[in-house]
Amino acid sequence: MKSRGPKILTYAMLLLAILFFVLPVVWIALTSFKSQAEVFSYPPVFVPEHINLRHYAGVLSGAGGQALRDSFIVAGSNALLSLVAGVPAAYAISRWRIGGQHFAMWILSIRMFPPVVSAIPLFLLFTNLQLLDTYLGLIIAYLTLNVPFVVWFMKSFFDDLPRDLEDAALVDGANRWQAFVRVVVPLAIPAIVSSGLLAFVFAWNEFLLALFLTRSAVKTLPIALSSLVGGHEILWGQIGALAVMAILPVVLLVMLLQRYVVRGLSLGAVEG
Amino acid sequence: MAPTALLLLAVSIYPLLYSLRISFFSWELTAAVPPAFVGLENYVRILSDDPRFWSSLSKTVYLVVGGVLIELVLGVALAALVVRCGKGRSVVTALLLIPVMIAPVVVATQGIVIFNVQWGPLNYLLSLIGIDGPVWLGDRHIALRTIMLTDVWQWTPFVIVIMAAGMQSLPVDIYEAAEMDGGSAWRIFRHITLPLIQPLIVVTALIRSMDIFKTFDYVYVLTGGGPGSSTETVSLYNFLQGLEFFSFGYAAAMSYIQLIIISVFASVLIRHMRKGLA
Repeated sequence: MKSRGPKILTYAMLLLAILFFVLPVVWIALTSFKSQAEVFSYPPVFVPEHINLRHYAGVLSGAGGQALRDSFIVAGSNALLSLVAGVPAAYAISRWRIGGQHFAMWILSIRMFPPVVSAIPLFLLFTNLQLLDTYLGLIIAYLTLNVPFVVWFMKSFFDDLPRDLEDAALVDGANRWQAFVRVVVPLAIPAIVSSGLLAFVFAWNEFLLALFLTRSAVKTLPIALSSLVGGHEILWGQIGALAVMAILPVVLLVMLLQRYVVRGLSLGAVEG
Repeated sequence: MAPTALLLLAVSIYPLLYSLRISFFSWELTAAVPPAFVGLENYVRILSDDPRFWSSLSKTVYLVVGGVLIELVLGVALAALVVRCGKGRSVVTALLLIPVMIAPVVVATQGIVIFNVQWGPLNYLLSLIGIDGPVWLGDRHIALRTIMLTDVWQWTPFVIVIMAAGMQSLPVDIYEAAEMDGGSAWRIFRHITLPLIQPLIVVTALIRSMDIFKTFDYVYVLTGGGPGSSTETVSLYNFLQGLEFFSFGYAAAMSYIQLIIISVFASVLIRHMRKGLA
């Protein structure tokens, strides 16, 4: 039998660790409700006296509103396009074993490359095509990250999917495409949604490519946040409010997709 | 459908090939002269005649080695605690995944406040337990470690979650046998758990190494490479060569050197993943 002492010690240490990892996030949320005086007071005010929503209103009417809209447009369209391009490709690679069995790994390694490698050619290319500082440009740039991710994620799903159902549909006279759309896709909906949402988060959080490829017409959340802290008079309350809005969708996705997040981030090393 | 697969491959490989081409040119965006083919000159200059590159590389390696070691030790130790939580594990995992999924830029903007020396909460909390907190971002001997701490904060939870999932999937009967034999918790951990999750540790170390090697967002927002150039990582220097100095050929060559280094990690990783994990 184990003694009770170590058990309590275990929980205490774990609690301490969780506080360390979670408290800064709570701090961000609290900052967004503080008055400017509370932000700069010392000793620091941890819990604001009044729940103050004016930072949210302030940042939404300024740079934050545009950033939120731009990030939704870019990350949303990019995730959809990544699925449209990636899911059929993953299926083809899985069923016809294109490129041998290690092909998916090589696709994945494209995603591991430093983003600056594609930022430089894309900058020159987009200058010629007048795609710099446009939604379309950034959406295309993120395809180079997210299509490989979707292909890799969906290929391992299709590998595990039994072929019997498709074969039955083929016997019944459906062609390959019909079998894919009517039989395989409905079965794959949970995996498709998960990979799409993860692709959304990657685009939502991305910074370096946006720094290269956009200026003022398109400003995603990370770009807007980094320029807010660079100004003369830094409005920490507004930055906190914008940070909360940048974090919120991501936290919701973590709650929904815990298992897939672990799998996706660990490149399939664990099932989660 | 097969053609779409090949088309996609083309789309993702095209920028890489174009970048390789640019790296063989002297390609100054600000100068009126057109790009000129210079062969390997950019590579030779970076490797033999650019101390700033080597300095940024050594800082990056410092971040990688330190960050990966700390994250693995903390991650494995805390994972061993998480797996004992039983039903609470799913809640703990959800909480731990929050930092992991937040944009690094958001983390860094808030880091400016948290690390602030005059009114930041971190040094205040340290002062409560009698510690005189350092000048986190303004001291050239400390700033790089502050960047490392930021990475440790954001990514240790990821290591914990992965290790906990790995430990959870280990066969229960081995543990029962070991406990019957009267092994202490530490001995069981040291002689059974650790060897069994070792492949997972290797894979996690490689994934984290590649990510830390690309560290850019924290540095850009928290310190801009300073004070002096004490936190200038390869990614940041590479970015400056591109978007500040507009030497695109030089920057492309530098990005290719990074790519080669990352590829070494990636090919080791792929070999390990092929061997199959538990």
